Amino acid sequence: MDFAKTDEQELLIESIEEFCSRYFNEDLIESMYENGSVTDEILKEYLEAGFGLMGIPEEYGGIPCDKVTLGILTEEFAHHAGCVTSFLNNTLAMSDMIEFGSEKQIEFCMNAYMESGKPIFSLGFSEPAAGSDNQAMTSVTKKQADGTYILNGQKTWVTQGELLPYVLVVAKDEDPSRENKSMSLWLIDKNTKGVSTAPLHKIGQQIMPFCEMYFDDVVLTEDMRVGEKGVGFVNLMKNFEMERCLIVAQCLGCAQAALEDAAQYATMRETFGRPIANFQLIQEKLTDMEIALENTRNLLYKTLWKMDQGESVRLDSALVKRYGPKACYEVASEALQIFGGLGFTTEKRVGRIWKDLRGHMIAGGTDEIMVYIAGRQITKKYQA
Amino acid sequence: MKILVPVKIVLESEDIQIKGDRSLDFSKAKPKLSDYDCNALEIAAQIGDNGVYALSVGGEALKDSKVKKNILSRGVDELFLTCDSAYEDLDAYQTAQALAKLVEEAGEYDLIILGDGSADRMAQQVDVQLAYALNLPIVTAVSHIEVEGSKLKLTRILEDSIQNIEVETPAIISIVPDIAEPRIAGMKDILAAGKKPMHEVTTELEATQSAETVSNLAPEQVQRQQNIKDASDESIAEFAQALKQAANL
Ligand SMILES: Cc1cc2nc3c(=O)[nH]c(=O)nc-3n(C[C@H](O)[C@H](O)[C@H](O)COP(=O)(O)OP(=O)(O)OC[C@H]3O[C@@H](n4cnc5c(N)ncnc54)[C@H](O)[C@@H]3O)c2cc1C
Repeated sequence: MDFAKTDEQELLIESIEEFCSRYFNEDLIESMYENGSVTDEILKEYLEAGFGLMGIPEEYGGIPCDKVTLGILTEEFAHHAGCVTSFLNNTLAMSDMIEFGSEKQIEFCMNAYMESGKPIFSLGFSEPAAGSDNQAMTSVTKKQADGTYILNGQKTWVTQGELLPYVLVVAKDEDPSRENKSMSLWLIDKNTKGVSTAPLHKIGQQIMPFCEMYFDDVVLTEDMRVGEKGVGFVNLMKNFEMERCLIVAQCLGCAQAALEDAAQYATMRETFGRPIANFQLIQEKLTDMEIALENTRNLLYKTLWKMDQGESVRLDSALVKRYGPKACYEVASEALQIFGGLGFTTEKRVGRIWKDLRGHMIAGGTDEIMVYIAGRQITKKYQA
Repeated sequence: MKILVPVKIVLESEDIQIKGDRSLDFSKAKPKLSDYDCNALEIAAQIGDNGVYALSVGGEALKDSKVKKNILSRGVDELFLTCDSAYEDLDAYQTAQALAKLVEEAGEYDLIILGDGSADRMAQQVDVQLAYALNLPIVTAVSHIEVEGSKLKLTRILEDSIQNIEVETPAIISIVPDIAEPRIAGMKDILAAGKKPMHEVTTELEATQSAETVSNLAPEQVQRQQNIKDASDESIAEFAQALKQAANL
């Protein structure tokens, strides 16, 4: 068993650290949360440094790398930036397109990405009455006599939906009923007639807002379909495992930042004549926080390592998404507690991290749904 | 323009700990590329359209594969190094002698660029000593470089004047850090670094100590914390005095 990082991974971490100290500071982060986006400059520089190209195949100008290294990138970026960012969503969106898109669609999306560092599209998947229960979605396309399709439906919680000019929508083919499992992916320009959005107000992660999206008699053409007809949902599911891991990697980096802040504060803050770090109750908190992060880290990197070996991680990815975000959220919560009243102000970033991580217990599949997935796998695993 | 850049591996100063007896504990300090050399590598990468070769002389730290890849991930094409535990602590003269040998190995060149000084010693001697060893013209404190054929137009920012100098290549210059902000090594550069040529060169140079270190101690810590806890006139005067003292007024 080898837990050592390669030279390249260590140099990557040093570069991330340098990048974050050059481009991120708390004032800027605050303003990015107010403006609902990472700045254009940082998006470009992130791409320029090659971080945004990692995991994208060489033939499209990317830098192929293993999944463990993508995890390290995501964790360490969150750790050194001290906040969530949309980079992880961006990389995942590009991987989806490269995996399922036609050459023409890939070229179109890659060109836009290379120019701005932003994927050209957001992902419209959940609906007001169909989140965990995706099969309940009712957005539907119907083929017309002239060969075009008409889309009707509503999507919600679409991350960066207002910021990005296109949206990749999942909709049922022909029949909106629950029984119909045939779904397709469509890449839709938001300027298309019948597409509209409405803002939703997040309580955390405002650096990447989400929104409602409405589709009223939107005319689609066959060339807007991404991937094969009928298997749109199945296709997306393939990348869910990686998405879960990267969400956890982001949680881990943010929670690590919160723990470091809290540990430093504990040695400085004095009550009853001594630093609070000398009280066993605070030591217990710090100990449990460290354990939670180490557990999450071990589970995460083992899962990513298994993916790199080509092994199935259906169970592992559900376990890590079940365990990691909650463990990291609790670490942030305890970090806030160590800061006392100060922790509950906007003076300190722990409060922001705490709110941000709460969202990750829902996004990318809720904690409860992970139990649902893992539970089935576990009974299968131990079948006599 | 083909450029050679001598660089030094130093210890991360933040990790050097001061022990109770004021002696320094280097055991936790990791080796790293000297900060000022990153500026030299950057400007070399910007103008070295015919190759940038890094040269380094040092001890065990230079055997670290990560250290070598770090140098090679910053716009450098090839690395020439001499490492020997006897060269752990060479003085400026000997360093220049060993570098001169590496310069010879690296072949033809137009320009040698050095950083402002090394992040550990900051003696600012190796540049001039190397120029002496190679019998080349040297310009120090360069803040701007313009290349015109085989000629360099250099700017030096001095205390109360700006000096413009022209020099024919080959030449040696040392730069001020402001000349170029080091690049952040991108993932592509990091991955490519391990595949670039690294040449190990041995020299006959015998490391001798021209100076003996008598002691190497951190400055004495002065107790700066004071508790003044009431609001009487005397205490306020005392407080004001303490503030002035802290601010060196
Ligand atoms: C920050 C954030 C970003 C998001 N970004 C996007 C995006 O970009 N695109 C997109 O399409 N969607 C996005 N979502 C939506 C997200 O995928 C859904 O919110 C999520 O799948 C849960 O669906 P829901 O909100 O409808 O909750 P519901 O499915 O209604 O669940 C409500 C509660 O019931 C529990 N529950 C549901 N079913 C079961 C069960 N079978 N057993 C036990 N408990 C159950 C859930 O765990 C939850 O606690 C985002 C959400 C968040 C919070």
